[in-house]
Amino acid sequence: MTSHATTAPAGHAHHDDRSFLAKYVFSTDHKIIGIQFLFLSLFFLLVGGVLAMQMRWQLGFPNQPMPGGGILPETWATDGVLLPEYYIQLVTMHGTFMVFFAIMPLLVGVYANFLIPLKIGTHDMAFPRINMASFWVAFLAGAVMLSSMFVPEGPSRAGWTMYAPLSARADLSGVLLGQQLWCVAIILLGLSSILGSLNYITTVINNRAPGMTWFRLPLSVWSLFITAILGLLALPVLSGAGIMLLFDQTLGTHFFDTTAGGQALLWQHLFWFFGHPEVYILILPAMGMVSDIIANGSRKPIFGYHSMVFAIVGIGFLSWIVWGHHMFMSGMNPTLGSTFMVTTMIIAVPSAIKVFNWLGTMWEGNLHFHVPMLNAVGFVAMFVIGGLSGVFMAATPVDMPIHDTYFIVAHIHYVLFGGSLFALFGAITYWYPKMFGRMMNERWGKIHFWLTMLFFNLVFFPMHNLGMGGHMRRIYDPTVYNFLDPMQGVNRFISLSAFALFVVQGIFAVNFVWSLFRGKKADANPWRDNGLEWSLPNPAPHGNWERVPSVYRGPYEFSHPQASEDFLPQHVKLPGDQEPASAKGAAR
Amino acid sequence: MTHATMDMMHPPVPAEPGVQAYNLKLGMWVFLASEVMFFTGLIGSYVVLRFGVTEWARPGVVLNIPITALNTFLLICSSVSMVKAYAAIADGDQKGLRLWFLLTILGGAAFVGVQVYEYLHLVHIGFVPSGVREGSELAERVAGGAAPAATMGLYGSTFYTMTGFHGFHVTCGVVSMIYLYIRKVLPGKYTQQDYRGVEVVGLYWHFVDLVWIILFTIVYLI
Amino acid sequence: METAHRKHPPYLLIWLYLALLTVAEVVLAFELPISQNVKLILLLALALWKAALVGMFFMHLKFERWNLRVLALVPLPLAAIFILAALSEKIW
Repeated sequence: MTSHATTAPAGHAHHDDRSFLAKYVFSTDHKIIGIQFLFLSLFFLLVGGVLAMQMRWQLGFPNQPMPGGGILPETWATDGVLLPEYYIQLVTMHGTFMVFFAIMPLLVGVYANFLIPLKIGTHDMAFPRINMASFWVAFLAGAVMLSSMFVPEGPSRAGWTMYAPLSARADLSGVLLGQQLWCVAIILLGLSSILGSLNYITTVINNRAPGMTWFRLPLSVWSLFITAILGLLALPVLSGAGIMLLFDQTLGTHFFDTTAGGQALLWQHLFWFFGHPEVYILILPAMGMVSDIIANGSRKPIFGYHSMVFAIVGIGFLSWIVWGHHMFMSGMNPTLGSTFMVTTMIIAVPSAIKVFNWLGTMWEGNLHFHVPMLNAVGFVAMFVIGGLSGVFMAATPVDMPIHDTYFIVAHIHYVLFGGSLFALFGAITYWYPKMFGRMMNERWGKIHFWLTMLFFNLVFFPMHNLGMGGHMRRIYDPTVYNFLDPMQGVNRFISLSAFALFVVQGIFAVNFVWSLFRGKKADANPWRDNGLEWSLPNPAPHGNWERVPSVYRGPYEFSHPQASEDFLPQHVKLPGDQEPASAKGAAR
Repeated sequence: MTHATMDMMHPPVPAEPGVQAYNLKLGMWVFLASEVMFFTGLIGSYVVLRFGVTEWARPGVVLNIPITALNTFLLICSSVSMVKAYAAIADGDQKGLRLWFLLTILGGAAFVGVQVYEYLHLVHIGFVPSGVREGSELAERVAGGAAPAATMGLYGSTFYTMTGFHGFHVTCGVVSMIYLYIRKVLPGKYTQQDYRGVEVVGLYWHFVDLVWIILFTIVYLI
Repeated sequence: METAHRKHPPYLLIWLYLALLTVAEVVLAFELPISQNVKLILLLALALWKAALVGMFFMHLKFERWNLRVLALVPLPLAAIFILAALSEKIW
């Protein structure tokens, strides 16, 4: 799977004589595990995208045979026309794959694994074998989830939020095995995330290099650390809920069975109590990595480092007390609804602090618009749109008419695609040389960015209008509602733009694969950055450093007056620098 | 507690910068935090469901309280023997470690055994996860008004899920302690200088005991 | 670290406490003729007391540094928030 990494340049710190299997498959090296997560989640990103394209076909061209739809089995499509049962399965699995198996592992699995030990200066994770288990459990979860697509009756039909009682009762949804497999996969995924998170937390707390104090940590590490705490505490709730849902279908329990005293609303509370921290799991690491990239691209120290840290911590805390804003229309206690409205609006404050700090960092900076920087700036722009519509929807009276419409779909895609995915395109390009020893192609990276930016907005901006016009999410055929007729043109326009958006991602895929073999060989520090990871050769050897470096300053010392160049790495000792006190006992 | 006691509680192994607890111990505490949230999901659901209905089977009608009270006591005993094993090796007492550790395993295994017996008995009289089995002894008693028929389904669901997952945790603890006993305790791998494994498995074991203390009260007595 | 026998907390005394509290719980639940609500509060208090004893002494939280204690206590407010919010339909 990752054999290309053998094309490493000379410069290994020590000879590595482990077998191929130990090195690249059952590896305990955090960098290899990160790369394994990268391939796994990019695969599921593709799967989720293919499912989305089929949905867009049905919405743009209802009841017309889909090109290539003839290869779908009878239970999914007749003569290429998608069946409603299959459509709702597409909706369900698109959300499930994208949230749980693409964006979450891309952000946390890949970058928490790859970056934390490199950036804090340690040899590996605190528990390398648990780390390996975390990947293989995630792999298993993905395999189970994917297999549910191919069982009789297909995968779950209850939407990615799995609202009971539709999810709990096979006699309502018509799917039993697929639904059970969904539960099993989610329980496994929860286990994988918990194993990963406890590793990240322990490593950041205990294994920092001498001199790497809390306020010298890069913001990417801060955000991954807080994300790990959210994952550690949120995922077990989802696993517990998944277990109860599974028991409802296998053991005949009645947790969500309203006919026997169970509560459908209980599922919503459990799911969103997990789900809102999950939302920040999906954006915080992106924010952190964007902070690193923007400081690098602006050649300026990050503006307001401490306020950035407190904003991350504040978001992490507040994310626990806002979940009810997903449930304004559920019949929940209105007093509680008002509480959640207020907390949700408060959480906009730390998010806005971050946005202003990014702008402050770029202000009068020596801007270098390399591909990661372009994507990072794209992230900020798109996140502002998605974030502002979030504050707008947080008001209960506003939410009521637009609840469960395409306005919500537009919002989530502005933060998850426009936000997280743009940040990821930036992050993948940025740390690609450290992973694989080669650069991704700059020109095609820029072309990919601009085309993605264009088509992304053409797809998702009109969805706001659809939603305001009352277009419900998850509906199979908009043409059966008279009031949606005037908007069918918009729907078709969105679909065509979506196809273009999908095709444009081919540029990224080709660039990624081509660069693995043919990309320009990268220097150890191609972006002229300050982080500890750039002090290592490409790709970094197993165990990272023979002896971990001492750290003398924060990670954002660009354009430092005492430095000969416009950057000053964290491990470079200037004449006036004191050796960190902890370095004496640090011969670990 | 005196200052000397405080020192004693930190095993004489080099602590790395951070919380001044070694990786394994910190990792276990972090893991236990996630376990708290897992049981929050299960126990919280029970509380919410229980508040959502007006009547519930009175304690002692379905479940056997004396036997479970005894079982609770058994688990508490094994928690004490665990901490005695820890205290023994902290004093460098290998014999004490072997004895107390073995007693802990036995206590845990006995707890699981009693729980299995309890489950078998409950299923036998007709109490199953979906509620009351038709035509069983319990079904007759419920029909006779011993317990409210409407909420027996919820009772079975929550009872088996909560105690089942607790039992699963106890079983995992027993299995890992047997492993440690054979691989580490018997060969004398733990020393007065390094007994991290004993402390960490102890943390897990006491946590499982703590969860049972809560479960016993809210499931059996309320 | 040379001294062989250092002072340990009184583990056996705590064991006795726990045993007595368990007996007290059972007696309270089945023998005492008091209202259900009072019983509920008393039983929960006893359970928390027992749990606290286990946490403080057996898990050594009483002797740990403050930051490890914080780590151990972080999930508890979250648990309380969840249960209170999910119960809100019933309590007010």
